Amino acid sequence: MSRHRILAVVILAALAFACGPKRPPNLASATPGEGGSEGAGPRYEDTSGSRPDTGPGINPLEGSGLREVEFPDATDVTTEGGPLDDVYFEYDQYDLTDATRAVLGKHAEWLRARPVAKVMVEGHCDERGTVEYNLALGDKRARAVREHLVSLGIPEGRLSAISLGKERPKDPGHDEAAWAKNRRAHFAVSR
Amino acid sequence: MLRVATLGGLGAALVIAAGPGGAQQPPQIPTFDVGGVPPRFAIPECITKRGDEASVKVCKTITEVLRNDLRFEGLFQFVPESLFSAIAALQFDAPKFDDWRGIGTKILVTLRAEVVPDSQTKKDQITLEAKVYFADSGQTMLARQYSGPADNPRVFAHQASDDIMTLTQYRGVARSKIAFVSDRTATKERRSKEIYIVDYDGYNVRQVTVNGSLNILPAWSPDGRQLAYTSYRQPPPGVYISAPYAMKNYRLTGAGSQAFGPAWSPDGRRVAYAANTGGNMEIFVAGSDGSGARKVTTSSASEAAPCWSPTGNEIAFTSDRGGTPQIYVMDAEGLNVRRLTTVGNWNDAPSWNPSKQYSEIAYTARLESGGFDIAIIDLATRQVRQITQGRGSCESPSWAPSGRHLVFSCNRGGRWQLAVADREGRTFQFLSATGSGSNVQPDWGS
Repeated sequence: MSRHRILAVVILAALAFACGPKRPPNLASATPGEGGSEGAGPRYEDTSGSRPDTGPGINPLEGSGLREVEFPDATDVTTEGGPLDDVYFEYDQYDLTDATRAVLGKHAEWLRARPVAKVMVEGHCDERGTVEYNLALGDKRARAVREHLVSLGIPEGRLSAISLGKERPKDPGHDEAAWAKNRRAHFAVSR
Repeated sequence: MLRVATLGGLGAALVIAAGPGGAQQPPQIPTFDVGGVPPRFAIPECITKRGDEASVKVCKTITEVLRNDLRFEGLFQFVPESLFSAIAALQFDAPKFDDWRGIGTKILVTLRAEVVPDSQTKKDQITLEAKVYFADSGQTMLARQYSGPADNPRVFAHQASDDIMTLTQYRGVARSKIAFVSDRTATKERRSKEIYIVDYDGYNVRQVTVNGSLNILPAWSPDGRQLAYTSYRQPPPGVYISAPYAMKNYRLTGAGSQAFGPAWSPDGRRVAYAANTGGNMEIFVAGSDGSGARKVTTSSASEAAPCWSPTGNEIAFTSDRGGTPQIYVMDAEGLNVRRLTTVGNWNDAPSWNPSKQYSEIAYTARLESGGFDIAIIDLATRQVRQITQGRGSCESPSWAPSGRHLVFSCNRGGRWQLAVADREGRTFQFLSATGSGSNVQPDWGS
């Protein structure tokens, strides 16, 4: 909870330039720096049929370089490295090949030998195709891998699955060799 | 903060053509779209009282930006600036209407700006006066005075443009903001993507998130006060909402499952998103405080990319239940699901035109082999029109609040950049001022 509170304050400061109604306030009440107050001023005096107040938006006149600051406990997804090798997929597929099953068999052995290890399975895609579809596809890949590990006797509670879609390619290239490396499931292991 | 006042001396008379009773409807500027003759605007260079360097510079910026803003709206004609030299020096309060009519002016906009130090804050302030006249009668349609800090002269022009647009039947977009995702701060060690916001024309970029993780798929709340987005900063990835005015920032979706791609209902009370709570990705709808999350789709396929109809009664989304990703529409409660797109084997990322005037959905389509393009489907006729062509791959369309323009992201020479087009696909421009990095997943806010 305190984390959120800190963040909230930080964001308020960060977006302090987000000030005042978008329909600008009048002369009387406008003072620079009263950022964040959404009732920062009355409407136009003028009644020339202006559209209704649509809310403040971000007032570009306020401040500069303002933004959220680093979360004290922000983490990043690992997406690379670790003790368990990535497994790979065909284009637009999420089924497990025999080779993949063999690798997952070894991963299961490794996990059985380390009963406290937990694994977050990350599903990744190559850059082709839309953002949203690839998030769904990455999800299917992660889940297929997770289900297979469960079928090999790894308790569900030790395995989670998330999708990274095409957001974090391992190889930044734009050819088949790069794409093949990026269609993968990665194993983020915590012990 | 920008302050606005009606121009002194004019009093109530500056209100557009309000007669003695004040009850008459103000005359509107006829535009292309209403079948009128599109009015020819003349926007002569802004003038200063003192002619000092700072004021002249600000004047130049304001003139340029206002011209661009009104051109962008795509509803007017403009008297070529080369003809202005034939006219005697502009008098702000008493332009020689005969001269302006002589070069074909219907609507004359005069601007006067000064940079003055504020006695209280010691910071430079801009004061801008703007007047809009019917050249035929010399009648004042609008007279406004704006004052505020001199940090960003562009916003004065944007505000004036939006005010001038109130004289038409359309909403101006010059002060609207686009949220987007960029990897410009990423390093080899930390491949972050952060949320940024920028003016509609690509200027004035500001970074919103700085958590160094992946932050994607931003969505403005309808009132422009809050941003929802997907963040990986506390796995599993979830939907977060920044509500700076209310001093709140919170994770909307539970820690037990991943959730992506938020979309606000038009009344701002609900947020739809895609989540997997076991099994496959489905569309969920929750209160914007996270309460009452409810699964609204049930299929064995993946559902994603929800967006709301302008009434809030329906949700469009992508599903691969038919074998390929296609756009579907359902009631907001999840009933009455019907497939919308039938052309092409890959359609995704719907964005419903927010204007009730246009019943249509923009989306990302693979219409030809290979790349993706932006397409719009008319909901009445089901006709599809292609908005981009030969621009590399383009995706993630989002409507301007006016419903007359779209922003999306196109891959040009290996780099993704934001681009805008009008809803007919007649105009196209990259927002190159947005700066470096891969700039993707734009969301055009109010």
